Amino acid sequence: MEGSISNSGSNEDFAVGCMLSIKTTLGDEFDGQVITFDRPSNILVLQEGSKPGPRRNIRFLKTNYIKEFSFLGQSEDPLDIKKCYIDLQSLQDREELALRQAEADAERIGVGVTTEAQGIFDALSKTLPVRWDKTSIVVMNEVRVSSPYLPENVIGGTPAANDRVKKVLELERRRLQTRP
Amino acid sequence: MNTQQTAQLKSSANGFARRRSERESGMRLENKHQSGKLNQNRSMNAKSPSRDRLVYLSTCLIGHPVEVRLKNGSIYSGTCHTTNVEQEFAIILKMARMTKDASYRGSKQEYVMKAPSKTLIIPGKEVAEVIAKDVPVTVAGQSNELQNERHEDILIDSSISHSRHVELDRELSPWVPDEDDPQCPGLENIFDGPWNRGWDQFETNKMLFGVKSTFDEELYTTRLEKGPRMRELEREATRIAREIEGEDTEDLHLAEERGINLGEDFDGDEEVRFSSVIRGRGLDDSGYDEDEDILLDKRNTETFGDVPASSGAKTDHLHRGTSNDSAGALLTSSVDEPQCSQSSNGSEFFQSNTYDHCRQQADDLPCKSSTSDCNGRSLYGNPEILRVAQGHDSINASIETKTVAVDGKLSKSNESQSAENSQTAGFDRGGLLADAPSVTSSVKEMPPTEPEVVYVKADGESSGVSACRQPGTFASGSDHAGATSASSHPAVSPSSSLIGSSSSENSTLNPHAKEFKFNPNAKSFTPSHSSPVRPPSPVSDGSYYFTPNVTTLPQMHGMPVGIGMGPSYSGHQHVLFNPQVAPLRSPQPYFHPSGPQYGQQMNLGHPRQVLYMPGYQPVSSSQHL
Repeated sequence: MEGSISNSGSNEDFAVGCMLSIKTTLGDEFDGQVITFDRPSNILVLQEGSKPGPRRNIRFLKTNYIKEFSFLGQSEDPLDIKKCYIDLQSLQDREELALRQAEADAERIGVGVTTEAQGIFDALSKTLPVRWDKTSIVVMNEVRVSSPYLPENVIGGTPAANDRVKKVLELERRRLQTRP
Repeated sequence: MNTQQTAQLKSSANGFARRRSERESGMRLENKHQSGKLNQNRSMNAKSPSRDRLVYLSTCLIGHPVEVRLKNGSIYSGTCHTTNVEQEFAIILKMARMTKDASYRGSKQEYVMKAPSKTLIIPGKEVAEVIAKDVPVTVAGQSNELQNERHEDILIDSSISHSRHVELDRELSPWVPDEDDPQCPGLENIFDGPWNRGWDQFETNKMLFGVKSTFDEELYTTRLEKGPRMRELEREATRIAREIEGEDTEDLHLAEERGINLGEDFDGDEEVRFSSVIRGRGLDDSGYDEDEDILLDKRNTETFGDVPASSGAKTDHLHRGTSNDSAGALLTSSVDEPQCSQSSNGSEFFQSNTYDHCRQQADDLPCKSSTSDCNGRSLYGNPEILRVAQGHDSINASIETKTVAVDGKLSKSNESQSAENSQTAGFDRGGLLADAPSVTSSVKEMPPTEPEVVYVKADGESSGVSACRQPGTFASGSDHAGATSASSHPAVSPSSSLIGSSSSENSTLNPHAKEFKFNPNAKSFTPSHSSPVRPPSPVSDGSYYFTPNVTTLPQMHGMPVGIGMGPSYSGHQHVLFNPQVAPLRSPQPYFHPSGPQYGQQMNLGHPRQVLYMPGYQPVSSSQHL
């Protein structure tokens, strides 16, 4: 393939520090700087973005999925070896934290509900305490909003709460419609 | 993948110990769990720095949210748990969600949410790409990250507004101003040197809205006339100020303000040190005790130079209050400026302004000039003063005491007399007329001395002037007396000297004291703008009163009217004078003791306390009471 890299391909193309513009077979297009290229596994690690801070956007790309690429320029090694070491413990902590966060997030996601429903749930959650009960949204532990999540479907709770939920629901729906 | 592979994946990922110590990128571990130990991994693959890097970077991903793009186009998002480079970058995600289902072709609306998988194992073959954002690649990034994560538990504003959970209508990005355009100057610039901004608000307003401003700064402040003496005055003023501020004081709070260290073992908590009001310095709150007297005396001595012995004698005389010389002595006495003002050390209790002024005046004015001034003043409004003086009623005790002092003075030499005169003058300023002849004359010639002055000196010794003991009260008393006397209060005029020493009938202390008679018709005096500039004289607050039929002096227009204690201008002479004195159109030469603003030596009516600055327009032109 034109521009594709084979195992025996030129090393120089993927020298560390190269700026490349790449198109992938998945339809991605991006520019990045080569951090490393591991030939045995064909994995190219690129760094996106130019900010030199400690945090970078990184892509691990298998070279077989590169549709085409072009060489933009050569720059210096983006990775400072001397500063690279890992604290395993902190990694684990980070992972735990992320998992906790993800689990909390998972609570907010309704299983088997449409994205529209999820959108409504998210919108309601901005101002009201909501949770999922199967496919129904339970607001303030009193009011239920079941599929298809129209103002008519608001059931339960005190009249005041009910009205309030209805109103918020209407507004949110309207807002969701105006947005693409 | 089978479990074994999984285990291998896990172990191999955990085997990525410290990079430095890691010698190879080998993954094949025998169930080594995360312990931070170095693992000597035997790797199937050759060591290569590129492989090392790869391993390092993929290790950095652990715990980080990543996006895995599969070969088929599906995308999964989750937290990276481990990666296995060996196995073609297999990856295990925790809490993974499919964010894009390649196989799903329906519309977005119908897409059904799925529960996130607790653990999602993606075989390497499927993986096409792994994308991670904001991966801490170096140490710096890592340490920050953990802290940031912790902070996120606290739900900071930015995390809330970032609103991961809700779809954003639009991508938010921080605002940056387009170049620095003159429309919105930086905040730092605006407040730099507001006086030098080169921006005139009035001009701008006029331009924009056609509003013409009538703002005149001088309406709200007194104009500093930068004459040739200004530097001198300033210097002197700052010196005095520094002296005052630096002096020792018993008062806790004052000391703290001045930076006088109390000492390590000071007994008292914060409240005592910084807040509470210190009481119990004697029954009387004016708290003018002996220590302060001595202090003030000392200060005065330093400031004004040694008083000739005669003044000491004068003091004695004060106490004795025996002789009651007449104004004649006063007339001839040359005003000794330093002495005059020296007596004004009681200002602290009376009105500090006056005190300062006295001192300032004393410093500034050469004796000679003051002498001339005094003499000139003596001529001022003689006829009226005479009349007024004679019309005086008996004065309250304080006045009498003052008279005593005056009398004592009068009996002495010129110098002492002048000093005493100054004292009485200060006294008179309070609006009280003690002994008509002596007082008036003295007042005429005297610099604005505080009544306390008299007492300050007297305090050291037992004096018949018991009333003097309380300068504060005295002051109030004198003010009060002055108030009541109003315009009809006989002005202590220079001409009192002409009256001759009249015997005082009412006071045991001063045989010459005249009865003080309230004159409700007395006019207030307003010095004229055009008065020739005269050197400021210390006799600024002599109380001169004359009967209303003398002259009805027109009010000065355009002069800022202000009664009462104005703001004290540090370092400048503060002259208390009676603002009620209207400009004289009388035939008598109108003598401005010091500068135009000191015309108020002629006081009509109620003496108000007004601050005068040398070279300033007089502050008051208030009507008499």
